[in-house]
Amino acid sequence: MITAEGLTKRFGDKTAVQDVSFTVQPGTVTGFLGPNGAGKSTTMRLIVGLDRPTSGTATVAGREYRKLRAPLTEVGVLLDAKAVHTGRSARDHLRAMAATHGIPASRVDEVIDLAGIAPVSRKRAGKFSLGMGQRLGIASALLGDPHTLILDEPVNGLDPEGVRWVRQFVRHAASEGRTVLLSSHLMSEMAQTADHVIVMGRGKVLADAPLEELVRAWTTNTVRVRTPRATDLAAAVGGPSVEIVSAAPDVLDIVGLPAARIGDLAAERGIPLHELTPTTGSLEDAYLALTGESVEYRTKEIS
Amino acid sequence: MTVQAAPPVTRRVESAHRLTFVRAIRGEWIKLSTLRSTWWSIGIAALLTVGIAVLIAQAIDVPGFEPIQAVVMPIQFTMLLAGILGAISVTGEYSTGMIRSTLAANPKRGSMLAAKAVVVGVFMFVSSLVIFAAAAAAVSVVVASRDQSIDWSDPAASILPIVVSSLAMSVFALIGVAFGFLLRSGAGAIAATVGVLFVLPIVASFFAVAGEAWAWVTDASNYLPVAAAQSAILPENAALEGPVAYLTLAAWVVAGMLAAWTVLRTRDA
Repeated sequence: MITAEGLTKRFGDKTAVQDVSFTVQPGTVTGFLGPNGAGKSTTMRLIVGLDRPTSGTATVAGREYRKLRAPLTEVGVLLDAKAVHTGRSARDHLRAMAATHGIPASRVDEVIDLAGIAPVSRKRAGKFSLGMGQRLGIASALLGDPHTLILDEPVNGLDPEGVRWVRQFVRHAASEGRTVLLSSHLMSEMAQTADHVIVMGRGKVLADAPLEELVRAWTTNTVRVRTPRATDLAAAVGGPSVEIVSAAPDVLDIVGLPAARIGDLAAERGIPLHELTPTTGSLEDAYLALTGESVEYRTKEIS
Repeated sequence: MTVQAAPPVTRRVESAHRLTFVRAIRGEWIKLSTLRSTWWSIGIAALLTVGIAVLIAQAIDVPGFEPIQAVVMPIQFTMLLAGILGAISVTGEYSTGMIRSTLAANPKRGSMLAAKAVVVGVFMFVSSLVIFAAAAAAVSVVVASRDQSIDWSDPAASILPIVVSSLAMSVFALIGVAFGFLLRSGAGAIAATVGVLFVLPIVASFFAVAGEAWAWVTDASNYLPVAAAQSAILPENAALEGPVAYLTLAAWVVAGMLAAWTVLRTRDA
């Protein structure tokens, strides 16, 4: 379990993280979302004691990271893939980390195989591609077979096979009762992986809820209807809680009524329907709706 | 609100794999010994020491010249290698980002600093012993031709200067380690280390001709690491008395480590 209580971190006069509190439960995969510069990475660095909070506390399994007796078996950390000396081989890097906890060489070979870097494990890490570096970072995080995984952008730079492997791995870890906190900008991937979501924006927690609940709260379910008698149908389904947008002369987007009800109403009046498509919101829609105000580095809309 | 099944209880098997100081030392040793730069530095130090020692032994043939002096004199050149090795053992971690992995594995920063200092210090001491021993063997061959030899029955003329020189090398390396943690940049730490070991003594020597009012500068310069090391290595007619010289060397290490620990303790990594 990871607990953050009133975490605040200021760098000079810039507040990176402001009064952040949350709990990451064991047995679930918790997704950590937010725009670039929202404070996710800083929060993770505060949790593992790389940065000192200006105020507040962060604990893992009830203890400050710095006070853990066996940090590597308690927490597996991947903060960025480039936390490796470029002049050392992948295997030597892992051996050095393992040695601090008396983890045997057999486990080093195990995580090398798990992460799929056996063919390059004796090459210097400086020559690694982005994906290989990422796999080495994941291998380091797994060394101590930790109870808690904190992974910042673990699938960044991975090939599709690697992305799927990370997803299956963290799902499996959570099913064993481990605590998993992972960040990603890939919403579709996160939607498949996470049970629970914490969204940050401008240094604050914007939302902290189960994934489904978040999507339901921040998206609308629309039913797209195509009919030659659009005006008649609009009149038939219209009501105080129903919102109708006409995307084309023969197309209506209806919010506020289930598809079945719309179909029934049309049938009662003999209105032919050429299409009746319910669309549910995605995590991406929810995320964009939620963070719209707090995006720090915004791109221009392409028209 | 979706109802969630009670989370399964996390296994709390007390693992045998725990962080200890001895293990932290092992980790630091693997890190130091698996970098090519370490062995390059030692290799160059060995070549310089043996080469210069042989040259000196051949060139200086005057009454009262002890061959052991030829063995330890190359420290004037290799001291910089020791300092640089110490500095980059730290700054290499900062420039590559390795420090974040190091601190993830050993978040107790004082213990990490101590482990690194022990490994760098002991490694420099032991490899210097080996290098000086090799130089002594080479010098013995050179001076044998004029019926001289290193008198191994007299520790003060044989083993003692070698041991003390090796200690001095490890002091220089630890000064590099301290500057590494203080400055974190490779260029900065190397510049500062070279400054203290090499430049300051030269600056101080300018004041030797400056008259009585500036004599304190010369006196103070006797306490610089290299000057103190010289007093400790060859105590005859030395500027500092033996105990004072040793204490001075120890004080440099202690001050450097305390300064490093002060910044490391609170600074974001």
